[in-house]
Amino acid sequence: MLPPFALERPDRLDEALGLLDDVSVPYCGGTELLMAMKMNVLRPRCLVDLKGIAELGRLDWDGDDVLVGGAVTHARLATDDDVLSGSALLASVERRVGNARVRSQGSIGGNLCFAEPRSDIATLLCAMEASVTLQSQTDSREVAMRDFLIGAYETVREPGELLVNVLIPKVRRYRGVYLKYQYSERPTVGVALVHDEAEGPWRLAVGAVGEIPLVLEADSPSGFDPHAVAESIDLVEDLSGSVEYKRHIVEVYVRRAMQLAIQGDSL
Amino acid sequence: MSVTSLEIACTVNGNSITQAIDVRTTLAHWLREDLALTGTKVSCDVQICGACTVLVAGEPVSACTYLAVDVDGKAVTTIEGLARDGELHPLQRAFVEKMALQCGFCTPGFIMMAKALLDSTPQPSREEILEHLDGNLCRCTGYAPIVAAVEQAARVLQGIKAGENG
Ligand SMILES: Cc1cc2nc3c(=O)[nH]c(=O)nc-3n(C[C@H](O)[C@H](O)[C@H](O)COP(=O)(O)OP(=O)(O)OC[C@H]3O[C@@H](n4cnc5c(N)ncnc54)[C@H](O)[C@@H]3O)c2cc1C
Repeated sequence: MLPPFALERPDRLDEALGLLDDVSVPYCGGTELLMAMKMNVLRPRCLVDLKGIAELGRLDWDGDDVLVGGAVTHARLATDDDVLSGSALLASVERRVGNARVRSQGSIGGNLCFAEPRSDIATLLCAMEASVTLQSQTDSREVAMRDFLIGAYETVREPGELLVNVLIPKVRRYRGVYLKYQYSERPTVGVALVHDEAEGPWRLAVGAVGEIPLVLEADSPSGFDPHAVAESIDLVEDLSGSVEYKRHIVEVYVRRAMQLAIQGDSL
Repeated sequence: MSVTSLEIACTVNGNSITQAIDVRTTLAHWLREDLALTGTKVSCDVQICGACTVLVAGEPVSACTYLAVDVDGKAVTTIEGLARDGELHPLQRAFVEKMALQCGFCTPGFIMMAKALLDSTPQPSREEILEHLDGNLCRCTGYAPIVAAVEQAARVLQGIKAGENG
């Protein structure tokens, strides 16, 4: 049995937004929230279930861009035909999130809003310059992924706001690699190295090792210095390893990602 | 309206159930304590080991961290729902024949996870099996017999399907 709470199951977005406050929180797949409640880390009074809101389940393509509803699951992003053909890179990263149960229950919005530092999705989306739309009863704002995450388990989202969708512009044109080292359920390090085929720089994002991903740009995939990246990144010592170990593994994985991208071994 | 108990309607292993459930109840607790379906095991309780895997609308979920009320309107399949007329499901038979278990505690979860794979990918490669079962833990077998059992079950199920079609 979980600690006491009440449940709301709205089927409209405005209804859900009207219910949210400090103690009434969004609830989607529950893979993070229910676990935190079991451990008595979080004690919300009311869970507002988002799974019945059709708008949050959208997966809309507009040219090269894709708009992903906040409640879309990892499993759907890993197997959807349009995602597979539109961004094999995104699909392949989604396919390796956690385990098959977490992928079928867990949502992209839940992943980003919980802001657990060891997220593959946040790292990839920072490199792809994605943004999220946060909507409240009175307002709607678009926030770049890199500004959305402000620390471990911390985002700029206000209690009355929902992450209604994630916009990944030009996703069809992005090519790149995503490498992670993972010996348990969550990555020890994740490295995304991507670029827009048509124009612009290569963007490197290194995540899971610190509170938020580090994002850097260069003109070519060989334009990064793995040693300098490892020296400059803010690392957090935790059960995945010491600062010294993480510095080493960052350097190794950045170098490997660069080699793959230089060889043209990208998705 | 905010509620602390909800009347839900679902099917469990094909049987229709309508019941009022406290929203705090996990699916694993409901299956085991209310429906006496104790085949679903709870071990790590944090979605890592896979012992509590059941299928909801055909998808594998961790029943330990899933609200029972969330199966409202859906079909739930547990390990007890696999055998037909006293005949073990090909996956269950393959686990026995390949000696893919010792203590057996993780077995229902492995079998339900494998069923989810074979339902969507009837002829998985060895890599696909390994990747899909990556989130289930077994401390007895060393995994090799489990993978062999899933491969055998896939072949048997393909044979049954070919027989039905031909
Ligand atoms: C065992 C395990 C392994 C994992 N491995 C990985 C991994 O390898 N890589 C990786 O990237 N991730 C991993 N994860 C994280 C996983 O992706 C998330 O747990 C999942 O996506 C969360 O989604 P949810 O729908 O279950 O969120 P919930 O648990 O329902 O919610 C999480 C939090 O976000 C809030 N929230 C949810 N949706 C919204 C919304 N639309 N708007 C505003 N707030 C919202 C909730 O209030 C809550 O605070 C793992 C998780 C587990 C449990």
